[in-house]
Amino acid sequence: MSTISPRRGFVALGAIGAATLTLTACVPNAGTGANAQSIAVTASDTACNVEAAEAQSGTITFTVKNDGSKVNEFYVLGSNELTIIGEVENIAPGSSRDLTVQVGPGDYFTSCKPGMIGTGVGQAAFAVTGDAVATTPEEDAVVAQYVGYVKTQTEELVPQVAAFVAAYQAGDDETARQLFPIARINYERIEPTAEQFGDLDPKIDYRKPGAIEEGLPFTGFHRIEQDLWLDEAIANYSTPEKDHYPKDDLKPLTPEERKEIGDQLVADVNELKDEVASPDFTLTLADITEGAKGLLDEVAAPDGKLPGEENEFAHTDLYDFTANVEGAQVAFDTVRGLLEANGGEDLAKQLDERFADMFALLETYGSYDEGFVFYDTVDQQQRNELAAKLTALSEPMSKLTAGVVQG
Amino acid sequence: MIATLLIGLREGLEAALVVGVLLAYVNKIGRRDAAAKIWLGVGAAILLSLITGAVLTYGAYGLSFTAQEAIGGLLSLVAVAMVTWMVFWMLKMSRGIGGELRSQIDRALLGNGWGVAAVGFVSVAREGIETALFIWATTRATDTTPLLGFAAAVSGILLASVLGWLLYRGMLRINLTVFFRWSGALLIVFAAGVLAYAIHDLQEAGFLPGPFAAVPPGAGAFAAAWFGDAAWAFRVPHIIAPDGVLGVLLKGTVGFSPEMTRLEVIAWALYLVITLPLFLVASYRGARATRKETPCPPSAPAAASSR
Repeated sequence: MSTISPRRGFVALGAIGAATLTLTACVPNAGTGANAQSIAVTASDTACNVEAAEAQSGTITFTVKNDGSKVNEFYVLGSNELTIIGEVENIAPGSSRDLTVQVGPGDYFTSCKPGMIGTGVGQAAFAVTGDAVATTPEEDAVVAQYVGYVKTQTEELVPQVAAFVAAYQAGDDETARQLFPIARINYERIEPTAEQFGDLDPKIDYRKPGAIEEGLPFTGFHRIEQDLWLDEAIANYSTPEKDHYPKDDLKPLTPEERKEIGDQLVADVNELKDEVASPDFTLTLADITEGAKGLLDEVAAPDGKLPGEENEFAHTDLYDFTANVEGAQVAFDTVRGLLEANGGEDLAKQLDERFADMFALLETYGSYDEGFVFYDTVDQQQRNELAAKLTALSEPMSKLTAGVVQG
Repeated sequence: MIATLLIGLREGLEAALVVGVLLAYVNKIGRRDAAAKIWLGVGAAILLSLITGAVLTYGAYGLSFTAQEAIGGLLSLVAVAMVTWMVFWMLKMSRGIGGELRSQIDRALLGNGWGVAAVGFVSVAREGIETALFIWATTRATDTTPLLGFAAAVSGILLASVLGWLLYRGMLRINLTVFFRWSGALLIVFAAGVLAYAIHDLQEAGFLPGPFAAVPPGAGAFAAAWFGDAAWAFRVPHIIAPDGVLGVLLKGTVGFSPEMTRLEVIAWALYLVITLPLFLVASYRGARATRKETPCPPSAPAAASSR
């Protein structure tokens, strides 16, 4: 500092000031630009009346008129009710000011602050519908890649399920029992996506207790599982703690019933494939990363694979376990580039190691081709070991969304 | 009308006070030419703000909220840096000389006066755009004639200028050594207020964590305390109304507002705790020392060198 003249220093500081001006971002004013929308807001000392509670995504101008006696402020808040999307302060009584915001679809809130005090008044929900604000091409490419993966899995799922159902309907229980875990692999890899289609997942993959709790008919994979491993199911549901479950379906299904339940499963997975293949189907980055975490949570859930509750009659939980982890791994691998671009190399490396550990442990129990050991032969100590590896993987996985989705 | 006037007063006060001190300073050391340059800087800032504000108000494009806050916040940070640096630089250069001598040294130190002019410019410009937008908005008043709203807003700013002028007059009357100490100390107090303002703006725009952002997923307890409602230090608007006269005066002078975030308070306190004692200690030490050597005045850069 000693050699710099004050004048030169000030000029440098001035330049910094000028540089901040290059950060300016412009928004079209009311009445200009394509599909600009104008919404009138009447603010007073006690209320905050927004003319419309919804708008199209894009540029929205709120014209806020202060009818009260106090200086007012008007806010547009994000869905968490904290993030300020836009605000206009110093609206003197009797005057009116504009707030122009550019927003994508989502849930927002509007609110006024008469007297510039505290939490404000008249907070109201404000919905924005329409097209998403443009994302960067790179993100689009990543999303497209993962959507492609989901489509491929559903396309493979359909013939696998068809073969399994065909054996079951033909009365070839031996083959059906072998095909049961294989038919589920593709589904388990993309489970969180399938769950987006509200009514499909319950029909395809609900377990008996879940179906009974929600008052839904017990159908899909697990209904066929109960029929194929009926002795196991009867034994399972004769225990005192399962006493409250209805027992009337614990009898062999007739060929007609087999046909009905099998055809429905085939129809449902076909519908899933069509839903995913539709041009309207898309995901956000957060869907992918949260889905990856969701897959691991599925494994650890109280009614999931780790406790051996997923396939409670067939004990093929290790197939599902492996498929869930594979699905999570693919999701992570798809977004890896974005994670690393955001400076998450360490997290990526950590996830690679933890996935490798998890797979290595699972391999000691078998493979899809060779078959996995039945889960009822896996003792508590081994289950604890599986749980420990899974937890070690879940922990960095929970940081994935924050590392990939910026802003 | 009073409400509009008070807004103008609040927005204009901090700048008016800083400019008042600057003018008193250059006057005290007899550099009238520098005073003219300060006025030039202030005038340029006002004109630039008014024009920008008008373009943004009546033109096809406005400024996004985030950009507006970023400009206000970052320019405020620049203003703080400039004022702080100026105060210490003057102090360092004129250390150890009695008042009378010191004024001569300072006269040389000011260089060609563009430095102080730049401080004046930034002090006014930092909130200039926001204030100009507010002034132009009053011309679109609905209940009253546009002219009346406009007049009230401008009156508020004029009132701020009057207070700045009173400070200037008052400072001219005090003894030179005391004056140097007080002018620096006042500038530091004003700068602390500007710093708090800057932090608040940047929090609102989401550049810094604060009450306007949700806790990020996976944040620890320590990090979580800087987001959401936990980020407020205090909220006492029911005790001091932010739109009242007292609230306006406090905000415009020391930067106190009835609702402040923890980050704001910490930045404000840290700045004061560090700079004010540093400045006062140095200033007293300088006054006590009676060294006879006259430091070489730095070769003042030739005026109108690169402009």
